[in-house]
Amino acid sequence: MTEDGGKMRMVGKTRKNGIKKKSGLALLADMFSISVTAVGKWLVMALILAYVAFLLWYTGGSTKPFEEVAQAVENNLNTENLVKRDGQALKRYYGLNSADYAGVLFYSSEFSISAEEVLIIEANSETQVQEIRDAVEARLEGRKENFSDYAPKQAMMIEQAAILVRGKYVFVAVSPDAERYAEVFRKSL
Amino acid sequence: MQFSSIVFIFVFLPFIVTAYYLVPQKFKTPVMLVASLVFYAWGEPVYLVLLILSVAFNYFCGNDIEERRGEPWLARRSLFVGVAVNLLILGFFKYYGWLLGTFNTLFSVSIPYRVLSLPIGLSFYTLQALGYLVDVYHGEAKAQKNVFRFALYMMMFPKLGAGPLVQYASFEPQLERQVVNVYTLGRGASKFVCGLAKKVLLADRMGEVFAQVYALQMETFSILTAWVGVVAFAFQIYFDFSGYSDMAQGLGMMFGFELGINFRYPYTAKSVAEFWRRWHVSLGSWFKKYVYIPLGGNRGDTTACVRNIFVVWLLIGVWHGAKWNLVLWGFFFGVVVVLEKYVWGGWLAGFPDFVRHIYTFVVVSIGWVLFFGSDTGYAMDYLEIMFGFGRRALVDQQSLYLIVTHWALFVLCVLCSSMRGWDLFRTMTEGYKNVLVRRLAVSVFYLLLFVVSIAFLATEECVPFLYYAV
Repeated sequence: MTEDGGKMRMVGKTRKNGIKKKSGLALLADMFSISVTAVGKWLVMALILAYVAFLLWYTGGSTKPFEEVAQAVENNLNTENLVKRDGQALKRYYGLNSADYAGVLFYSSEFSISAEEVLIIEANSETQVQEIRDAVEARLEGRKENFSDYAPKQAMMIEQAAILVRGKYVFVAVSPDAERYAEVFRKSL
Repeated sequence: MQFSSIVFIFVFLPFIVTAYYLVPQKFKTPVMLVASLVFYAWGEPVYLVLLILSVAFNYFCGNDIEERRGEPWLARRSLFVGVAVNLLILGFFKYYGWLLGTFNTLFSVSIPYRVLSLPIGLSFYTLQALGYLVDVYHGEAKAQKNVFRFALYMMMFPKLGAGPLVQYASFEPQLERQVVNVYTLGRGASKFVCGLAKKVLLADRMGEVFAQVYALQMETFSILTAWVGVVAFAFQIYFDFSGYSDMAQGLGMMFGFELGINFRYPYTAKSVAEFWRRWHVSLGSWFKKYVYIPLGGNRGDTTACVRNIFVVWLLIGVWHGAKWNLVLWGFFFGVVVVLEKYVWGGWLAGFPDFVRHIYTFVVVSIGWVLFFGSDTGYAMDYLEIMFGFGRRALVDQQSLYLIVTHWALFVLCVLCSSMRGWDLFRTMTEGYKNVLVRRLAVSVFYLLLFVVSIAFLATEECVPFLYYAV
């Protein structure tokens, strides 16, 4: 691009034989008979729109009631190996007080040899989200260390846990079906 | 990343300063840009792309406006598109959830919607971009042709998170060439240390006092507890934001940029209007230049002038956050400024200074209650207690405990928020006739401040800046 303050209609480098090689932007500008800056402006605007849509889909939270989200995930859980836990279990395993949050759904394996568990929490604030994330990280790290000595497959499963944060929702799945559960959770929002 | 974090102070900053001072002039801009990208990505990797796209959009938009200057209608259309897109981005991230939530409440419906967290610095860099586009449109500044220099203006890390808002026309010459030497490094470092101490030693400690009051059930409050809480918040927000601004200014100096002053001892003001000329100066200047004056300023009749003041204050309120109590906060200051201008300003001037100081602090404190209240109802209940409505004890054990255990901190805050603190510092350090001794005294003072601040940082949790949430 020119730096001399002139119009930026020609963008490109001059080759040795004197023919100018045009950039993609300049070619687009020529095609629509508008300036490079105008093409750049509309192009970037389109990119911003696409990026916001991407963010909404992959990182956006939802205001859907917790019960609806929890129900959707619960209906798809393979509960052969999982038991629904209460607030006391959440406190014992994660150090979190279930009464502090808008909603909690917690399933974990009934066998101590299995690391499988699924947790969904809807926080009341951004600060709580961070608090939950920290608790989840600490829990998974601790369990990974415990299992690595005698059940390396379980430790690997913890390593591949699905952890999603969508707005005020935190989702954790340690399971062979973790990815499928995560997809169900994503769609339920 | 926070300026007041151990990683920033002991890893990021020394590395960037060394690289910046070692590379030749032509590489300083790229070094600063890379540093800014890393700084932003540290906390918000997902929003880095949005920041880069926003910079690219405003770069093209500025040049597009300049190219069309010969055709006024096209230039105006181009400006309109630029302003609209910037406002739409800000509106989407900041206000969309709030407006839909309000709609749901008003009409008792529950339309579900997706929400995104607010990108750090979006409110600040959007205002800078808008100012730039308007300046280019009016011919007050030339559109920046060098995309890297423009990117540096928009996202240099010292001012990316929470300002100060720098107007492009005055900043443009600094983008050409940065002068750095031992003097700028020393000046910047001492300013940075000063800001760090304000944040860590005063703001965060006052924040603890405020948090204690805020955590109490309001039914158990005495009048004095309510006042202790609001005074603690008044000092917390002042030292938090002015500490941030000092650190930003200091970092700017270290890298050869002058970012401008953001605070001029606001709590020494003798009227609310004066308070706002001393508080967040760069924001006040922005709204004056790009909103108040284009609306007509104080040139029209009284009705027009009052309308302009209200428009500005409502916008300032909304800009501070998507909450109804912040709209009320802006409206409240609009009312007070109008009343000072047309009703009691002259009458107030006749009072002794200390009465005017008290008046200003009380009115500003009412504003802070609206600011920190979780909602309008909470703020109103809190104000009722402060002014003794309802059956409330004047003093209780809680308030006395807070005062007795924190009186020294309150005294220190009063000193440091006035010129007296600065005078005391000068007497302590600059009173020596021998230049060498004077320099040594100043160095020892800043070193002590730094060591004590780091000691607090090492033992306490790093508290985010309050204005990062704006």
